[in-house]
Order: sequence, then C-alpha cells, then structure tokens
Amino acid sequence: MAKDPLAEAGLHFDELNKLRILEPDVGQKTTELKEECKEFVDKIGQFQKIVGGLIEMVDELAKEAEKEKMKAIGARNLLKSVAKQREAQQQQLQALIAEKKMQLERYRIEYDALSKVEAEQNEFIDQFILHK
Amino acid sequence: MRFKLSLLKEPKHILSCVGWTTADELFSCSEDHQILKWNLLTNETAVVVKLQDDIYPIDLHWFPKTVGGKKQATAESFVLTSTDGKFHLISKTGRIEKSVEAHRGAVLAGRWNYDGTALITAGEDGQIKIWSKSGMLRSTLAQQGTPVYSVAWGPDSDRILYTFGRQLIIKPLQPSSKVLQWKAHDGIILKVDWNSMNDLILSGGEDCKYKVWDSYGRLLYSSSSNDYPVTSVAWAPDGEVFAVGSFNTLRLCDKTGWSYALEKPNTGSVFSLAWSADGTQLAGACGNGHVIFAHIVEQRWEWRNFEITLTKRRTMQVRNVSNDAVDILEFRDRVIKASLAHGHLVVATSLQCSLYSTKNWNTPLIFDLKEGTVSLILQAERYFLLVDGGGIYVYSYEGRLVSTPKFAGMRTDILNAQSVSLSNDTIAVRDKTDEKVVYLFDAQTGKAIGDGKPFSHKLEVMEIALDQCGPSSDRKIALIDKNHDLYLTSVRRLGREHSVHKIVSGALFKTSLNWITKNLSSVIIFILFTVSNLPVLLTCSEFSRTPHILNYVGAQVSVRRADGSLVYSSVSPYPALLHEYSGSARWEDALRLCRFAKDQTLWACLAGMAMANRELTTAEVAYAAIQEVDKVQYINFIKDLPSKESSLAHTLLFSGHVQEAEATLLQAGLVYQAIQIHINLYNWGQVRHSLSLELAVKHKTHVDTVLAHRQKFLQVFSKKETNKRFLQYSEGVEVDWEKIQAKIEMELAKERERAANSSVRSSVASRR
Repeated sequence: MAKDPLAEAGLHFDELNKLRILEPDVGQKTTELKEECKEFVDKIGQFQKIVGGLIEMVDELAKEAEKEKMKAIGARNLLKSVAKQREAQQQQLQALIAEKKMQLERYRIEYDALSKVEAEQNEFIDQFILHK
Repeated sequence: MRFKLSLLKEPKHILSCVGWTTADELFSCSEDHQILKWNLLTNETAVVVKLQDDIYPIDLHWFPKTVGGKKQATAESFVLTSTDGKFHLISKTGRIEKSVEAHRGAVLAGRWNYDGTALITAGEDGQIKIWSKSGMLRSTLAQQGTPVYSVAWGPDSDRILYTFGRQLIIKPLQPSSKVLQWKAHDGIILKVDWNSMNDLILSGGEDCKYKVWDSYGRLLYSSSSNDYPVTSVAWAPDGEVFAVGSFNTLRLCDKTGWSYALEKPNTGSVFSLAWSADGTQLAGACGNGHVIFAHIVEQRWEWRNFEITLTKRRTMQVRNVSNDAVDILEFRDRVIKASLAHGHLVVATSLQCSLYSTKNWNTPLIFDLKEGTVSLILQAERYFLLVDGGGIYVYSYEGRLVSTPKFAGMRTDILNAQSVSLSNDTIAVRDKTDEKVVYLFDAQTGKAIGDGKPFSHKLEVMEIALDQCGPSSDRKIALIDKNHDLYLTSVRRLGREHSVHKIVSGALFKTSLNWITKNLSSVIIFILFTVSNLPVLLTCSEFSRTPHILNYVGAQVSVRRADGSLVYSSVSPYPALLHEYSGSARWEDALRLCRFAKDQTLWACLAGMAMANRELTTAEVAYAAIQEVDKVQYINFIKDLPSKESSLAHTLLFSGHVQEAEATLLQAGLVYQAIQIHINLYNWGQVRHSLSLELAVKHKTHVDTVLAHRQKFLQVFSKKETNKRFLQYSEGVEVDWEKIQAKIEMELAKERERAANSSVRSSVASRR
C-alpha cells in the first residue's frame, strides 16, 4: 500500500473521518490504556482501603490481646497472692488457735483442781456422816 | 480479760507515735508532719498543728502530770523527737516552745522522768543524753557504737534502762555506781519499758519474743517465738498487765507474762503503744496509718457464790452461781477499778464510787470522788480504802469518809496492793523513799499507831499484809523482805519479830481467820497461829513454779500458777471450826471436834488457843493429847495456886511473858511471889538472879531470901560469888534458913487469906 501523504505528514482520519494527529490504532489503545489505568488506580485505592481497615483491625486485636494478656497476668498474680493471703490468714488463725489451746489447757487444769476439791469435800462429808 | 478493739475509719499517713493527755484525748504524730488530736468521747479528729516539712517525728512523750506532789489536771506539754537529730518541746496547743539540736542522725527516743525534772534522749549515734526541764544539756550519760532504740526510766528516776543491740543495760545516774548489762534477746531489741509500780522490765525484739525481767536482770518470763518481730511493748500504769504489739498483732498479758488474749487486727505493725493514765484504754500507732484503740473488757471478780464480769465499758453482769440469777449493773462513766469482797462490791468510775451489797444489787450507794483516777481499792470487813493521786481514803460501807492517813513524803501514785494493807482497825503503808519503813495507822482516826514512829525493818520490804480478824491488840503484820523472807510482828508491840520462813513470794491473810497463806517456790503452806505466836504448819500442797495467791475465802485458796491457770486447793475445815469455837468460848465443842478429827496439829492449836484464853482445863486435855507431860504438870500447878493473881501470872509465865507476869504480881502486892518467879528461873543465868535481888532491895524485903537461894545455887554448882552487887548486900545480911522459911510461910498464908477475902468480895459483887 502506498504511503498516504497525509500519514506521512502525521495526519490521519478516523472512522468518523475526523482529523487526527495520532494513528487511530494508537489512539484507541491509548484510550484503552487510560481506561485501564483508571481502573487500576481505583482498584489500588480500594486495596489500600481494605488493607487500612485490616491494619486497624489487627491493631485493635493486638490491643485486645494485650489487654487480655495483662488481665491474665493480673489474675495469675492475684491467684498467687490469694494463696499467700490464705497462708497469712491460716497463720493468724493458727496463732489464735494456739492462744485458745493455751486457754483451754488453763481451764483444764482449773477443772482438774476443782474436781479434786469436790472429791475431797465429798470424802469429808462421807467421813462426817459415817462418824456421827 | 481481753481487748475490745476499735479503729476509726479514716486512715492517715504512716503514724509514728501516740500519747494520751486525759483518759479520752489522744495525740498522734505522723510522717506527713501533722499532729492530730483524737477525742474519744465525740469521735472527732482534729489537726493540732502542721510541723515544718523537715520534721519527721519519731517519738512523743507527755510531760508527767504529777510534779513535786502537786497534781495538774492535764498534761501541758510534750517532747517530740525527730529524724533530723532534734527534739522539740511542744505545748498542748501545738506551739513549738523550743527545738534543740541533740544528736547526729535521728533521735530515736525521748522520755521524761517521773517527776518531770529531767529528760533523756537516745539517738542513732549511740549516745544517751540527759537534759533539764527547759532543754539544757546536763550530761552525756553513755556512748556506744550502735543506735539506742529505746530507753526507760527506773521507778525512782535514778536509773535508766536502754538497749544496746541484743543487750540491755541498766545505768544509774550516779557516775560511780555499778552498771548492769546482760544479753537479753537473740535479735536486736526494739522496745523496752520499766514499770514504776512493780519494778519489772519488759523488752521486745527482732527475735519475735517478749520477755519480762526484774530490775536485777533476772529473767522472769520469756514468750515463745512469735511470727513477727515485737515492735512495741507497754506496761499498764498499775503494773498488773502489759500490751505487746507486732505485725497485725496485739496481745494483752499478765505481769507474770502469760497472755490473757491475742487480737489479730488488720493494722500492719504496731509501732508505738500508749496506755491512758487510768489503765483502762490503750492506743497504738499502726503501720497502715490507723490509730487502734483498745479497752479492756471481761475482767472478772469472784467472791463466794457471786461472779461479776465487766461486759462493756459501763456495764457489769452479776451472776449468782447458786441460783443462776443474773443482774446487770449500769454505770454513768467508764469503770476504772472494782473490788468484790466481804459481801460488798466497790466500783470506781472516773467520777463516782458505787457501793453495792451482795444482798441487794438494785440500790447502790453512790458518792462522788474527789479526783478521777482511783488506782487501788482494798477491802476489809468494816472499811474499804481508796487510793488516788491525792491520798489514801478510808470509807465505811455506808459511804462515810472515815479517815485519811498521811505521812510526810507520801507518794500515792505508786502505791499498790503489795505496799498497802488494810484490816478492820489498822492500815499499813510501806514507804517508797525508804523501803525499809512501814507506816502504821489507826483506821478509824487515821493517826499513826503508838508513838508515831514508823516501823523499820532491817531490809527493804517487798510486801506487807495485815491479819484480818481477832481483837485489835493481837493485830499482826507480815512482811516479806528483799531476801524473800517472811517476818511476823505484832502491830501494837513492834520490835519483836519472828522470822517464819525463807524464800516466800507472797502472803495473804485469810479474811476471817488468823491464818496466813504463803508460797515457797513450789509449795504452799498454811499456817495457823496459836496466840503465843508459834506458827504451826498445817497443810502443804504442791503447785508449779512461782505461784501467786489470788484469794483465800472460807476453806478454799485460789492460786494462779505461772502459766496463768487457776488452781484451787481446799484446806481442812477443822481449824476454822476450832477457831470459831474458841472465839465463842465453846470449849466443850472444841474438845469434841479435836477428838473427832484425831489430829496432832489440831490438838496443838487448841492447846495454844485455850492457853491464850486461860482455859486451863481445856489446855490440860489438849496438852495431854499431844503428850506434853511437863506442860500438863505445870497447868496442874497453876490450878492449885491460891490466888487469882498468881495463877494469872503463872499463865503468863507459861506463855513466856516474864515481864508481864512480874508486873501482875507486883501490882497485886505479891512481892515474894514475884521474887520467887525470878529465883525459879535461875537456870537462865546471872542476870535474872541479880534482877530478883534488885527487886528485893527495892521493896525492902526478902533480901535474905534471895541471898539464901543464891548461896544454895552457888553451893550446888560449887562456884564462888562473883557478882559485885550480891557481894555488897551479903555483907550486911545474915542468912538464916529457918527465918526465911517462916517468912515464906507467912507470905503464902497472907496470899491465901487475901484470895479468900477477894473471892468473898467478888461473890458479893456478883450478887449485887
């Protein structure tokens, strides 16, 4: 095909017979490219949004996890301290029990002494009755 | 007995020290530089003053209330020590009167002495300094390498006690006197206290123990190891109980060391403890910023079938054990002291004294007290005695003030049951300035007995007790001296002492009999006194170490053992009955009783009682029962005597009262008989002989009789006359036995005649 002088001059006609300075093919492709680019940008934007959301979510999760972790540590410590508290309480109660035991021992001795006195008195009464 | 605790709600900053002003007002200092005032009546707390920011208080001590015998109503100022090495004298309103640079490092303790003339401070630099009342340095008493954590004054303010690491040191203020030092704990000692009433020392340390010592450094009690270090100890002012503070722990203990009660309040460590002056309330500065208040409840008194418990501060519960009847007694103020004995309950509150009879609990007799704090109540059958800061008051059970005995230099604030004793007619008080001296007063008039001179013993007297029954002429006092020896002497005839027993730790006269109870280290012995003052051992019962007699009512003795348990022991009821019979002169019954009981000691007691009451027939039987032949014979001789006077004299002679026998005879004009007594006693030596001679010379008769007997005596023992007076008189006198015999016959006849006359006269008199 002979070279179109117009084409050589860089002028072309499209299907609608409008004068163009680009080749219609190229022009079409450019448009296509533009379209695609736009689509790509849109998609990238969408992706970014999604990823942002994801990051946010993960961050939140991390925070949550951290909180839970702290809670767990706290609970564990509390558990440990409860054991210690119980120990202290037990110790206190033991001390009180020891005190009461001592008191009981004192009462026991007192009771023994009183029983002895009672026995002596009974014996005396018996003796008295027998003699008279 | 236990503590009732109360914590006011608001926790403050870390507290360091507390101190009472009156019974209801407390000052406390905290690390945030504030001094707070706590009013217990209104439950209010107010900031007195905010100190400068660089003053961190450590110790607080109020200036003593009694100064030089004069008593102020309240304490006016206090000393505050701080971490910057200063102490501050601060008035009640919170104004800092004076700040004195005292030590390098913190001043750990500051204490006024008992009369307020000197202040002692102890510092982290190991120095102990004495300051005058106005804050001028007097001297540096001690210097050592370790901090002195606590310091206390001795009872007479002439010695101090301080800590030196694990050791305790007693140092007299006089520089040349001997210093007493001993290892007291296995850890650093944190607190000490020394009570002025009982002279006992209390210490608590990081080895988690508290210990009681006497002032010679002898250990009286050591607690078992507790869970936490003992951070504070404090004696109650009356010296009967003390408090021990530690982490989450407050303990109330008896002075012998055993614990009445243990409380586990949630307070942190109790850093400082202070008793109110009346000894009913305690305050503690706690590690968690609380001030803990405690008052003693559930004190118990027992007498016969009545049991009284202090249930609340102002309420008592009376239980009659025999019929389970319960009465509640309410008082307007806090009960400070109470005593139940002799059928009466005496209760002293802060303003009034209430008297209850055990027969009627509904209508007490109430009278106002002059001064608030009664420190001692003693009861006898007819009277009771109150001691407060101002003096000793004797009241009857009708509430009438009977007398107020006084002596020069009397200090009533340190009188306790060991140093005062009351019986129906006599009061005995041991002097504090000279502990060898015992003052005796008539209970009714409050005047000193005899010539006004107090009785003086050769050693320091630790404890005194008067007997409780019998006529006042027979009143006896028992003394226990520093060597723990028991002595007995008659109140009306002082001077003749009987050492009764060694190593005694307490004596108590029974309420209705002339008995004394006393305890050796492990034994209790009851002694019955025959009136000739010969103690007769009656019963022994075994108890554990260092028992303490509580009371002695009826035929029962209650004793508190060293571990705090009460032990009862009953005494044979026979002697009590016997005493009753002899008191009411029922000698036939007494004899029957003795025959029934078949007990040697009982017979001996009866013999003594009968002899004292000149009941010769009974005495003869009793002496025969214990196989005292010579005594029986002598009684028979007495019975045969012609006149009343001479039989009386011989009865006196029988009891060993030679002087009285002689006086009786001379009074009746029976000179010869008096001389004869002395001649018959010649076995006792030259002195008696010359005495009889003098008697004869004085009465111008029977010089020859005496000389004749003297010669006979010398011949028998083939000795030569050496006594100058006999030589002198024998020169002018001719000895003629026949004449002497005739003279004696005449005298005897004269006596017989007189006796006949007087018996006629007395029968005439009785007929009229």
